[in-house]
Parts: sequence; structure tokens; C-alpha cells
Amino acid sequence: MDIEADLVVIGAGMAGLVAGTIAAEAGLNTVLLRKGQSATAYSSGAIDVIGYVPEASEAFASPEEGLFILSRLYPLHPYSIIGYDDRIETEKIVDTIIERARETVSWLKTHLDGTLAPLDGEFDSNIHPITILGTTKPTCLIQKTMNSGNLTDREDSVLLFVGISGYADFNPSAAAQTYLEDRMSTGSSPRKVAHCVVQVMPFGKSYNLSSIELARHLDHEGSIESIAEQLKEHIEQVGATHVAFPPILGIQNALRNKTKLEEMTGTTVFELLGFPPSIPGQRLQKSLETIFVKSGGKLLLGHEATSYQREGDVLKSIIATTPRRQIKIDAKAFLLATGKYIGGGISGDENGLKETVFGLMPVTGDYHSATDIVPSRSTSTLSISPMGQPIQSCGLSVDPEFRPVTEVGTEWVVNLFAAGAVLAGYNYSIEKSGLGVAATSGYNAAKNIVALIKEVP
Amino acid sequence: MTTSEFDVVVIGGGSTGTAVARDCAMRGYRTLLLERDDIASATVGTCAGMISSGLKYRDEPDIMAMCSKEVVYWNRIARHIIMKNPILAPLLDLSDAASDSSYMDSYSEHVGEREVPPMMFLTPDDSLELEPMLHPDIIASVYYEEYFIDPFRLCLLQALDARNHGAVIRTYCEVIDFEVNDNDEIEGVVFYNRVSGATEDVKTKVVVNAAGPWAHKVAKSADDKLPIRLNKGAHVIFDRRIVNVGLTVKAIDGRWIYLFPHENTTLLGTTALDTWEDPDTLVASFDEIEYLLQSMETVLPSIREARIIRTMTGVRPLVPEWKVPEGKVTRGYEIVDHSEKQGKKGLISFLGGKLVTCRHMAEAVTDLVGKKLGKEVACTTHEKPLPGNEVDVDIIALSKEYGISLHALERMRARRGTEMVKVLEHTKEHPEWKTTICTCEPIIEAEIRVAIREEFPQTLNDIRRRIRLGTGPCQGTFCTYKAAAILAEELDLSGDDFLVDILDFRAERWKGIRQSMRGEQLAQEELAQGMYACVGNLDQSDVDYDLKPWEEGC
Amino acid sequence: MDENEAYEYVKSTLKKEKITPYHSDELEIVKSIGSCINCGLCINHCPVVASVGLDRFSGPRSIAVELSRSPPEFWATADKIYLCTGCGTCRDVCPKNVNIPEIVNVVRANIFEHRPDLVPKGLMLLKEIVEEHKRAFEPWEDPEEKKESRDMRLERLDLPLIPDIVKKGADVLFYPGCQAEELAQEVREAAKVILDYFDVDFTLLEEFSCCSLPSHLMGDAKNARNLAKQMKKKVKDLGVKKVITTCAGCTSNLADMSERDEWGVPAYHLLEYLAEEIGFERIADALKDSGGESQVHVSVHDPCHLIRHTSRQVMDHALNILRSMPGVRVSESIAHDSCCGGGGMVSYHSTDVANAVTKENMQALQKTGAERVVTPCPLCTAQLESNLFKSGSSIEVDDLTVFIAQRLPKKE
Repeated sequence: MDIEADLVVIGAGMAGLVAGTIAAEAGLNTVLLRKGQSATAYSSGAIDVIGYVPEASEAFASPEEGLFILSRLYPLHPYSIIGYDDRIETEKIVDTIIERARETVSWLKTHLDGTLAPLDGEFDSNIHPITILGTTKPTCLIQKTMNSGNLTDREDSVLLFVGISGYADFNPSAAAQTYLEDRMSTGSSPRKVAHCVVQVMPFGKSYNLSSIELARHLDHEGSIESIAEQLKEHIEQVGATHVAFPPILGIQNALRNKTKLEEMTGTTVFELLGFPPSIPGQRLQKSLETIFVKSGGKLLLGHEATSYQREGDVLKSIIATTPRRQIKIDAKAFLLATGKYIGGGISGDENGLKETVFGLMPVTGDYHSATDIVPSRSTSTLSISPMGQPIQSCGLSVDPEFRPVTEVGTEWVVNLFAAGAVLAGYNYSIEKSGLGVAATSGYNAAKNIVALIKEVP
Repeated sequence: MTTSEFDVVVIGGGSTGTAVARDCAMRGYRTLLLERDDIASATVGTCAGMISSGLKYRDEPDIMAMCSKEVVYWNRIARHIIMKNPILAPLLDLSDAASDSSYMDSYSEHVGEREVPPMMFLTPDDSLELEPMLHPDIIASVYYEEYFIDPFRLCLLQALDARNHGAVIRTYCEVIDFEVNDNDEIEGVVFYNRVSGATEDVKTKVVVNAAGPWAHKVAKSADDKLPIRLNKGAHVIFDRRIVNVGLTVKAIDGRWIYLFPHENTTLLGTTALDTWEDPDTLVASFDEIEYLLQSMETVLPSIREARIIRTMTGVRPLVPEWKVPEGKVTRGYEIVDHSEKQGKKGLISFLGGKLVTCRHMAEAVTDLVGKKLGKEVACTTHEKPLPGNEVDVDIIALSKEYGISLHALERMRARRGTEMVKVLEHTKEHPEWKTTICTCEPIIEAEIRVAIREEFPQTLNDIRRRIRLGTGPCQGTFCTYKAAAILAEELDLSGDDFLVDILDFRAERWKGIRQSMRGEQLAQEELAQGMYACVGNLDQSDVDYDLKPWEEGC
Repeated sequence: MDENEAYEYVKSTLKKEKITPYHSDELEIVKSIGSCINCGLCINHCPVVASVGLDRFSGPRSIAVELSRSPPEFWATADKIYLCTGCGTCRDVCPKNVNIPEIVNVVRANIFEHRPDLVPKGLMLLKEIVEEHKRAFEPWEDPEEKKESRDMRLERLDLPLIPDIVKKGADVLFYPGCQAEELAQEVREAAKVILDYFDVDFTLLEEFSCCSLPSHLMGDAKNARNLAKQMKKKVKDLGVKKVITTCAGCTSNLADMSERDEWGVPAYHLLEYLAEEIGFERIADALKDSGGESQVHVSVHDPCHLIRHTSRQVMDHALNILRSMPGVRVSESIAHDSCCGGGGMVSYHSTDVANAVTKENMQALQKTGAERVVTPCPLCTAQLESNLFKSGSSIEVDDLTVFIAQRLPKKE
């Protein structure tokens, strides 16, 4: 059945949900379509703002420092693009860029408080949580369940990595070994690292255990106690002060379980950052959706934007398709938050790239048209390096208000905005900036959308 | 330096080298195999695995007869790693049919012994029913059947069989020099152990140079010569069986190319480009990929809709015939006894040949080795089965007994035959090893551990050759870090080594993926970057990562 | 060998090698599987994996990236492939919308053709019933007993009897589905009550036959295509403009058939027809006096074949209608859109798996405090009802069609 809205958001990742929530909170009738979940849903659940500039070898001490540098070196970066807004005085540009990101971080922390994914961390410093490989990465916000307390501050901390027998996604001995060598090379604490394995058998089997069955099992009353019991012996043996788990402590009750384990073992317990599809990512996704719906937004799942109607420089409606139905949605404004290749916002064959909903022209990381690039030529021979893969910087070019622009550099229509990984000009994998860019661009775009709609009676 | 003495040293762990090592060992010669990298890491690992009936060599009827006989032997000794593919050659116009019709007769001469039908014509309607995705304008097609083998398992099983018969198999050992006396007789071989960093030498009087595309370099390090013609061939690999039967078609330049279902993928190949580059640096070019796609597109218009997961390239070590195109170079092999060419006595080199003839080549060379050693013994490689071939395996019964999925067992059977039970037994003591590590194949942890313990891999890529780790659509995105952790545990590696193993395998997979990057592989790579760089932060890792030959100069 | 002999030889070789070419209508599905990037998000949401563990059911990811690549006839997938309930949650969360539920059917069809010995016995028994009776349940032997059963239900539920109509040229064909035709007769009757109340020009089938979904789900491609052909003929012969059904599975299946076989006649669930053709205003008006003295507290279950195989909006319509009923209080359960476990034919051979999936719904339903749960699908109704009963719960289950019909004013 056809519907009408003030704002249609296409894509329900971090960018779409942040923007949709802000619009709904401002009183706009907001409909959010999604055809599937994506990177946000299986991310590690930590929120990166900015860890590195491309090709750097040192992480920024804080997002503030990073944005300061970024705004100068990369003025077209999604974080920096608002600097081109005429309404901002030149000398205030860098401050505005930093402030906007700070506001977004603050917004996230406040809104996610009390949900399944409450956050720790400050805008004033990057933290370095440990991953399931035993490496560390810079990030701004982590979920409270990942908080390792004074692990690196205490001189005498002893870290115990705990694996689960038959859960191959995390190998505690490899992680422990890697982490220890990293600590030794930097001469920092903890200086003693150990590993052990416990048994958790949601279905009576100690093999082929998945993150989801473990997390759901631990949501049940009484299941965490058995782990605590098994751990006591290992903790005592090595004198562990801190205990690291793979991120499976629960979906609903992860924080409660962390607290319970800490009580029962007298240690600080925390979750590591994990690979897709991680449970903390699922918590984050679910929490953002809940916030959106609570703020009055309408979530239309299983709907894909497949075509549109435009009149002059105004987008009038989009057609949304489900497995066996199709509807038209009229709206005053639209936000494209469809992601990059994973989300399907950008796709490509051997002849070039294209933006999949409106057929807008995607650009490369240095803002040349990407409609005819051969993807293999936009790659580096090195698979994993601080240079990253140029193809990952492709996407849409936007004006300072986050409206996608055409080849001539002006907005395609006045009421279409874009946010998140569909944007060009940054590489979130090497910068460690994924969810931060998504949230900030969504935040910025939403402010502009609200202003646009409220102007028009 | 460690020294020991062997009757024969075989250089090269490809199809021929391992076949020679097996034959020598089975005849009781003290045999050492030295392989610079890993078993089947070069040419044989980049072919389509067809054990050809010799179809293309109708101008060489003896070669055809030999090929056909060898197929019979392979079915006898390695049935468990052999598959049969029905093949269609769709014809778009009569000239395609008329020009080469003599091949049909020569092919059909030996079909009986191989238990395949003679070549047959099919009407266009029948062809389209068999393969609905064919171009609707085909006028007829020719049908025939060929056998295919897993080239990695073949070489590994030959090596393992050689070892079972007393041979010593050393991988990551690169021959750097020869000890030669004043009579130009070989006395020993010097090699560099790439894992330990030590230089070692062994005494021997007979050396078989089966180094494929490096055979001329090996000869050179013996101060000898070996003219050779090197020719590059590339394949494109699809994520699943995209056609029901194999297809062959004439490419834009008249060469025959093919699209063959291969286990759970499909291979499109191959090209032919004479090359003087370092084989280790070669990657498939955009031209080669287009050449293959466009040519196959003429009979399979929807081919670009299928998902390309990677490309692979290898170098053919051809007999040095000049002034003829690659397709016209003989596929018969040449055995070069250097003592008969005023070269080093005791050095025997190989040129040419095909996968299907590797056993035959080995037999001929081993006969020669026996003569040189003065210990002539009859060959039995065509009679004795390779390990795992003994009897059929009841997958359903095994599934009930060990509690492992049918599919995981079926895939394991395709690699190990009867030997698979040895892997499964481990799960009784270690039930957690029933866990699936590679979700695409699938591969369970027990098989990875057994492969590490008994099949001497050093890297994840070596494991990939043993058990197809990371060969599915995700190209190792998800199994790399899990398998690396298992390897680190089994070999007691440091944390740095664990990370280097991950980076190495990602690099090796990327080598093939990058060239054909398009479509869904874009999303796959975004995901891999998201995992290893964004979460794992491996791009900022300061481990000792050595640039690979194909990564240099970027 | 001449060309005919050649073809026969080749066909027999392919059969021996267990190679079956894909049908042209399967190619889209197979292509969609090629988009899988192995991210595993589906595993985190699959109700079967959550209920029985990844070892027992290797999950949608394995179907996409492993089992559907099993050369060449998929026989070795038989211990896993039948445990999928076809709920589509995987496709719903998948960034690429990989069509896993449909590839399951393609794989099952291959096993059915080449290795019928591996098809679960329960499905083979059902196949016999379908082949003999053209419906998914044994029909009533005695038409009089069938009428008696119908009348008993009408009385118990206080519904009037609207006579069956069979005529050509009606606007709408009402198709009840096998379950409502033979077992849950009250749903069939209730639908007629509703259609009659709103003066819809409808007809029934002269001779009832199954929509073919059960055959499709068990991989019996031959019977599925036969039944589809028969259905098309019936629809065309009747000359109707729309087909309406009260069964969620039939909704999605009829829509597929209508498109694939070019009926030129669309198929909808009754809820969609009510929302779009009758309109919420008229419905609310009809229901305005339906509240009694007591309030009934209900919860709602969303059938997978509606929300995921058709559109989420269908259940929005359901909620709109419920909320316009005075005297009805709706509490949404947190598992309202979680699969009931009744789909995919799993309950025909692995009831433990099907019931494990239902547990999730039951726990969530208990938490709502509702006394009844309504759902617009007879299959979901049956699955929830039997599991609630076995668990000793007092929550009762109604088909939404019946629930609505009961609250319409009696026509004079």
C-alpha cells in the first residue's frame, strides 16, 4: 500500500538510523527502508572516529587531534566537507568540524545509554581495545562490556585470555602470544599474559559452537556461574587480574554477565573486539533500531528502493520493492544511506562503478568519475597495507550539506542527501573511521533535512 | 651442514618430480626430492586438472595412444581423486565442424579402454536441453567425455607414497649448486633450506631435473645448458559449477579454450603467451581475462553474470620448438641425458609433457636412472594404488559413527578416500576438532591438524593445496585467521609468525583475486579489509612481512 | 550412433553422473546465491540455528556457500537441507538478499530426483497423499461428516453459514488452502462471512486442489508443476480478476505462480484485499460495535510467508484492523516476527527441531500476558496451538480471519 512521509531514509545502518532518529525526534514523519542489514550489524560494536590518516604509522592520541589534522590534509573528507559551508566563518571551520564530531559522539553515548549497547569512551582520547587476534586498534567508543578497566595502567596486571572449547572463532593461545609480544616490544603493561579454555555446551556438544548460541545461552539465568566456576582455577594459577573473553557474553544480559563474573572472580572481565558477524554489532544494530522506533520513526523492513520519480530538481517519490510486492512512497526529502559494496549502495563490474538506487555518478577517492574505472586497476598489489585499497575510497561526492552532486559539481536534486559508506573520499578500514563517519554524516545530513523540511510549510 | 648419500636426487615437486620420486622409491633406490617451494606449487597447481585423452594431439597418434593408456592407469591407481566430466563443443557455424573433423576419428580410436563413448553429434535442441544457458543459435554440438584429477592431491599422494617407500621429501629447499668432479660427473647437490636458513648438501651420482619452468636455471647452476620454451597460461575461476557439462569453444584466435566444472568451482581457461618473466611474478592480465570471457561468451552469453572469484597463472615448460605457435608444440616429452650432450654426467632433465603423462615420463626416466645406477628394476607405478584408493567409502555410515555432517565427509573422501578414517579417529579423543573451520568447502579442524602433522605444510597456502582451504567464494576471508591459529598451535609459532601467516595467505589469495576484481568480489574484499585491517589492524602491524615477488615494485 | 541415440546416451550418462540442468526459472535463484560474501549475519538470526545449535543445522550460510555448491547433485546435503523452515529471516537480514529459502528448494529437488532414498520418509508419505488427493491432507471420506464438522465449528464460534458459491466471471476467487479446506474449516467459513459482509463478488473453486507449495518445499518438482498447471487452468476458466487466500503460504506461492506462469491474475492475502479494496474506514465502521463488556487481551504472530515472503505491510494491516476493534487490547511480543517452526515441511520429519523453534515464540508470548494470540495463517495457528497446549499454557490461538469474522455484525 502506497504511503507518504516527510523523510524517507534508504538504508538502516548507523548513518540511516542516526539521521532517521534525529528527524523523527524533530517531529518529522520518518520512514526508514531497509532491504537487509549490513556492516553496522556485524561490526565489532566499537565506534571508530579517526585512528590514522592514510599511510600513517602512528595512531592519533584522540579523535580531536585526528580531525584537526584531517581537516587540513583532506578538506573533502566526509568529516571535513562541512567546512565548505559558506555560513561558517573561515577561522571557525576546523573548530566546527571538530565540534560536529564531538556532538555526534555525545549524541550516541546519550542515546545508547540504557540500551543493549551502552558506550564507554570519550571524544578526548582514543582507546586501544584488544581484538580476538591479540592485536590492538585505536577507537573512540567501546561498549561497556569491552571495558578493560585499569589493564594497561597497573604495573602488575595479569591478563588471562579465555577461549571456549569447540568455538573456533577465537583461539586464546594465538591471541595471548600475539598480545604478549606486542606488550614486550613496547615495554608496557600487562607483562604477564596467559590463556585457558573453558567448556560451554548450550546443546551438550563441544564443537561447532556459534557466537549466537553461546550468547543466547549466556542470556539465560545461571549459565554464567558455571563459567565463573571453571575460571577460578585458572585465575588462581596465574594470578590473573583481568580476564578477556571473545565477544559472546550475551545479547540482552552481556553487561550483567560481565558484572557477575567480576563479582565471582574478583577480576576485571571484558569482551574483545571480534570479527563479523559479531554479537556486539548485533546489539548496536538492535539498539539503534529500537531508539529510532521509540522516537516515532517507522521501520519498513524487507523493502528495497528500486526506482524513483523526479520532477525537475525535486525528488518526488521512490518505489520500494519487497519479495512479492511493490509500493510507492512520496516524501519531501530523502536520505541515501545504502552503504558501499557490502551494503550494495555502490556496485561495479569490470567496466566501472555505479550507484545503485538513483544512478548517480560515483567518484574515486580523488574525485574523478568512477563510472569507467576498471576496479582491478584501482587496487594495490599489497593486500593489507597502510595505503589500503583505492577502490574502497570510491562512492558519492556530496556538497557541504551532504547532497550528492553531479559531474558539474552541483546537487542533483535539492532534497536528496547521502550519508555513510556510500560517500567517497575516505577509507574506513585504514583510517579506522567507519561508524564515526556514518554517524557524523548522518547527524549532519539530518540537521540539514530538518531545516529543509521545516522551512517548507 | 648435514650430509647424507642418495642414489638419486629429484629436483622439483610437481607432477613429474613426485612421480619420479615415487617410481624411484618403489624400485628401491635411495631417493631425495628437493622442492624449492611446496609440492605442486607451480605449473601443475595452475592447470585445469584434466588427464587428457590426448585429443589435441591427433597429429601425434603415438602420443594419443600413450595418453589414453595412462588414463586407464590413473583410474586404476587413483580412482578416489578422479572425476569424469561430460563435455560439449557447441558449434556456431559449419566451418567450426568441418575444419577439424579428423579429430573425432582419432579420439574415438581408444575410447573403449577408457570406458567413454566415441565423439557424438547432438542436435541443437538436445544440446540446449542439456545446457539451457547455451547460445540459442548453435547449430549442433559434439559430445565427449574426459577425466579430471585433483592435481594437488595427486602430487601429494605421489610424494607420500614415495615417502612410504623410503624416499625423503624436503620442501622449501632450493638447489643452489652442484658438486662436480674433474670428469664432469655429478657428485653432490647443494641446497638452501629456506625454513632454517641453513645450507645443506647431499652426495649423489644421479640428479633428475624436474624443475619445470626453472629447469634451465637448475641446469645453469650445474654449469650446464637446457634450452627451453616457457609459455604462460591463465585461468579464471568461478564460485560454483556454473554449467552442467564442460564446454569447449574456439577462441578469437582459433585456439580451443574450455569451461570445465571442477569439484565445486568452474575453471575457464586457458591462454598461451610465451614468456621470459620470472614465473613467480606472473599474474593474469586484463587481456587474458577478457580473451577468455569474450571467447566463451560466444557460446555461453550469460557467462559474465557468474561470479569470478579469482584467477591463476602458471608457466608451461615446453620443448623448445621455435617458429610454431604454442598449440603446435609437441606435447610429447623430452628426456635430456646431459651426459650425451657433453654436459654433466648424471644429470637428467625433462622438457614438455602433460599432467596425464607424468607417470609415463617418470617410468622412462627411472628406467634410465636404473641403468645409470646399474640396478635395473621393473616399474610398478601403474599397478600399485596411491594411498586412499583401496575401496569405496560409506559416507552415511561414517556420518552416523562420528557425528559429522555428510557433506564434510563427502568432501574429505574426495581428497583422502579410505585414508579419511584416520582423520576421523582423532575426533574421538578431540571432539572439538569436529568444528568446521573453512565454511566454503567445508573443512573440519581435524583434517587441518592431520594435514599439518603428516603432510608437511609450512604455510596456510601449503595447507590450501592439501585440503582446499580458502578456495571457495570467500577466498579464505573467514578461515584464514582460524587456520593460522591452528597452524601456530601445531608448529608452536610465535605471535609474529601467526600474524605473518595471516598476511601471507591474504597476499596469496589477493594475487589471484585482484586481477579479476569486479562484481561481488568488491563486497567480499570490503569485508576482508573490514576484518583484517579495520578490526584486526593488521595494516599497522609491524611484523616482519617479506614482500612477495608479485608485490615488488608497487 | 545417430543423433537421437546419442542424445539418449548422453542423458543416461548425465543421470548416472547425477547432473540435472537448472530450470530456466531457477537461474535467478542460483545467481542470487553467487552474491553471498560469507559474512554469517544470517547465522546470528536463523531461528533454527538458535534453537538447535550450529552443529545440528549448519545454517543458511552453509546453504549458500557450501551446500549449494555440492557437486553435482547435492546428495550429501541431505542431513541438513531438510531442517530449514523456509522462514526467510536469513534473506531478510542478508546485505545481499541472497535467496536462501529458494535455493533450499532447488537442492531438495535435486535430491528428490536423484536420491529419493535420502528424502525423509515423512515427506514421501505426504507426496503420496498429494499425488492421490491433490491436497496436503487426507480429505474427508464422507462429505456428510465434513459438513457436520463444519457446522460444529460454526456453532462453537458463533459464525453464520454463508453458502458456497461457484460461478464464472466473479471478481474474486477465494482460495482457502488445504488446511482450511479440510482441517481448520472455520477459517474457510469465516472468510466467506467477511467477503459476504462487504459484498464482495466472489467464487470458490469447483474442484479444490493444492496450491503446490508443499510439493515445492519437499522438492517434488514434477507434482509441483502439475498442480501449478491445474491451478492456472482453474483460475483462467473461472475468469476472475483476483485471487484471495487466507493462508500465508498460499499467498506467496500463488503470487509466484501467477508471475511465473503468466496468469495475468494477481494473488493476495485477505488482509491485503481488506486494506486496499475495502479500506480501513469501512472496516473500522463495521467493527465499531463489536466490543462486549469484557476486554480481550491479544498478541499477534507474524507468519513468515507474509512478512518476509510477501511484505511487512501485510501485518501492519493486521495491526490496524485489530486496533480498530473496541474491546481488544494488543500487546506485541518481542518474538512476534520469529518463525513459528511450522514451515519448510520440517515438522513432517523432525518435529523436535520444529518444536524447538516454536519455544522462542511461546516464551515471548507468555511474557506479554495476553490470553490469546491471533495470526493470519492456519499453519502457524496449528503449530502454535499444539505447542502451547503441550507446554500447559492457557493461551489460546485464533486465526485472524476467524477473529475478524466473529466481530462483524450479523447480516440480515
